[in-house]
Amino acid sequence: MSSNTPAISVTDLHKHFGSTAALAGLDLNVEAGEVAGFLGPNGSGKSTTIRILLGLLRADSGSVKMLGGDPWDDAVALHRRIAYVPGEVALWPNLTGGQAIGILSKLRGGVDPAKRDELLERFDLDPTKKARSYSKGNRQKVALVAALASDAELLLLDEPTSGLDPLMEQVFTACIREVKDQGRSVLLSSHIFAEVEKLCDTVTIIRDGVTVEAGHLDALRHLHRTTVSAVLDGDASALAGVPGINDLVLEGSKAIFTVGSEDLAGVLRALAGYAPRSLVSAPPSLEDLFLRHYGGLPVPAAEAKTGSHAQADTAGAR
Amino acid sequence: MSTATLAGRAISGSSASSGSLAGLGTAAGFILRRNWLRLIIWAAVLALMIPVVYDSQQRAFPTQAARDAYSQIANTPAVAAMTGLPYAAGSLGGILVIKIWMTLAVALGFASIFLVTRNGRADEEAGRTELLRSAALGRHAYSVANYLVVGALSVVSGLLISLLCLSLGLPANGSWVMGASIAGTGLAFLAVSTICGQLATTSRGANSLGVAVLALFYFVRAGADLQASDTSPSALSWFSPIGWAQNMRSFGENNWLPGLALLGLTVAGGALALRLETRRDLGAGILPERRGPATATRFLASPVGLVLRMQRGSLIGWFLGALVAGLFFGGVAKAMTAVLDPNNQFAKSFMGTGHSMLDGIMGIFVLFNGLLAGAFGIQALAAARGEEESGRLELQLAGSLSRFRWLGAHLVVAAVGSAAMLLLGGYLTGVSSQGAATGGAMAAASLAYWPAVLLMLGVLLFCQGFLPRPSTAITWAVYGLSLMAAMFGGLFSLSEVAIKATPFGAVPRVPAEDFAVLPLVVLSGLALALAAAGIWRFRTRDLMPE
Repeated sequence: MSSNTPAISVTDLHKHFGSTAALAGLDLNVEAGEVAGFLGPNGSGKSTTIRILLGLLRADSGSVKMLGGDPWDDAVALHRRIAYVPGEVALWPNLTGGQAIGILSKLRGGVDPAKRDELLERFDLDPTKKARSYSKGNRQKVALVAALASDAELLLLDEPTSGLDPLMEQVFTACIREVKDQGRSVLLSSHIFAEVEKLCDTVTIIRDGVTVEAGHLDALRHLHRTTVSAVLDGDASALAGVPGINDLVLEGSKAIFTVGSEDLAGVLRALAGYAPRSLVSAPPSLEDLFLRHYGGLPVPAAEAKTGSHAQADTAGAR
Repeated sequence: MSTATLAGRAISGSSASSGSLAGLGTAAGFILRRNWLRLIIWAAVLALMIPVVYDSQQRAFPTQAARDAYSQIANTPAVAAMTGLPYAAGSLGGILVIKIWMTLAVALGFASIFLVTRNGRADEEAGRTELLRSAALGRHAYSVANYLVVGALSVVSGLLISLLCLSLGLPANGSWVMGASIAGTGLAFLAVSTICGQLATTSRGANSLGVAVLALFYFVRAGADLQASDTSPSALSWFSPIGWAQNMRSFGENNWLPGLALLGLTVAGGALALRLETRRDLGAGILPERRGPATATRFLASPVGLVLRMQRGSLIGWFLGALVAGLFFGGVAKAMTAVLDPNNQFAKSFMGTGHSMLDGIMGIFVLFNGLLAGAFGIQALAAARGEEESGRLELQLAGSLSRFRWLGAHLVVAAVGSAAMLLLGGYLTGVSSQGAATGGAMAAASLAYWPAVLLMLGVLLFCQGFLPRPSTAITWAVYGLSLMAAMFGGLFSLSEVAIKATPFGAVPRVPAEDFAVLPLVVLSGLALALAAAGIWRFRTRDLMPE
């Protein structure tokens, strides 16, 4: 059944807290077996959406389905099939991390001890320490181990790596890839673009409780402009007249501009006539997509902290 | 820039203390801003008791002849044990001391404990202190500011009490000693709570420790006042700071010396707390952290098991308290009967209706058992709101646990625990009473208070459903008023009908009164209705973390 039932299907979701509207018509779809990124700035409604999916908050209006069920009415049954990691993990200060993992796993319906021990090892977590003495990152590891040790069909992860160091982020990335290989679904709310670009098939970007961009990452990239940085033999200002070049920034013989995917072939042909000494092109990064919707300025490729490809290219150009 | 100069000034301060107290004024202002309303309410409520009680007593004893008659019969063991020795019962000032001094002094003690913990250990636990200490704030500045602000509550309350006494035309010397002795008690428990805040790592631990110390000192002085010859205190009274304050004898001998001792105790306690603060890390207590098991047992991973484990320490504390109280009540009962004059009409009316004096005393102890179990029940069930507040409930409900089962686990622990406490306290009261009553009879009589306890739980559940944020505070207020009515309603000249309309007053005080089923049925019905409404609401509302 999980092959054709969407993992999450949210349409026109509304939620008010008093007079403030937290969600105002949010759409979110996650197909079974898909890793979905969920992006939005602080206060845009990501956590509210996840809490509604967990049946902790009640939707004002709109349709919400998770694994084919109603998150509010079928909460207990659905929760046997999902796992949740909050961004801010609150634990019982006088219990050990291992005890907390045991309690959370039992509530989800049992745990495979071998898998739990393997995860404790990979995340380098001491389960005999009291939760009081854990740092934010270690508390997050407790929730991650409990969630990843389960055989949940769907993982709801709310900024799960916000307290982890880069090494542990790599472990997390590997774990999520394994989850994906097993055909399970993941909703990953995050602020880390590189992480989402690495892991996610689809992305939903929200702003002020409304979905502003959603779809496959590749398709989204295609809709947006590629950033090109070129160093010419002569003065680069001649490029200003080339059709299809946008957002041109000139620094002597160096030019940085953006090109829509439909104009890319024409612009490259025109560039060849100016004898470029070096040329770096970066696909639109998730950060560019994100900032576009939040009024941020377009970031020149050379300075942008983008995906690994672009960084390697830039390094080569220097 | 300004931070740098402030820090620079703190470092270059001439003595070490000016460095560790840098920013004291800012910290005190900050604490005042967070607490001003609480402080005003505490001071106003405590001080206003003076004119209210004075007025009622003036009407109860309008002539000197009436007061002289009262002074002949005032000294009963019950009065001595509960409110202290009635050494000046022939004057309005002395009667005021009998009726209200102990309530005010102990209330101010509670206020000091709760406020010091709220601004001290609770903030440290929540990580807020770390943020403040990272600024140019001396090591002790925040703690000292906390102690000074809470100490000011005692001083201001005492001053208000003195001024109100003066305005009522009471003797000046006695009025000043009255305020000073009450303020002194508040300051003594300020000292206690400063140390508790250093020893415990959690605010709950600090509060429990402080309240336990207060209860211990209350019982020590109760024992001392029962041992007294006539109205001169026994030496035992010097082992309790409440005893010191009582020995100032306002409107009697007006002795200022114990007041100085209380001041000394306050300064010494505060100094010790600051020493302890120097020796420990921020966020840590004095006891080192221990390691624990790497996995959860099946029991711990069940909803009731988790609740029991989280409340283990407090459960042990409450049951030890019930055990000590039960044995104490039983033991005192015999002493009381030995001293009591069977023809003493006043004491008879105070103790109960009709039956023998001994039955009256036992009835009061049964009421105490009921009140103790009520406080336990509220505290145990209030932990549920704590789980929601902290965000831990969110994690649990994200598992396949229904809200009903989760809340039910807390309710079961509170309800069954309070029933067990009633049976234990009652049984021990009877067994240790050396023939005054049987263990079984007293256990049964105490259990009659279970419906009243359940009503308190019903009120709390109702509030947790409809008004989650102030739910615990509202329930404690309801409990406090019920306690006042049941214990002191007669002293405040509340009518019998009014007392019978309050939760703990409604219960038949066996063996002082005849058993009746109807009040218990009504209490249970109310409890059930409130609980059902509260649980229904809790299942349909949004979760509300802090």
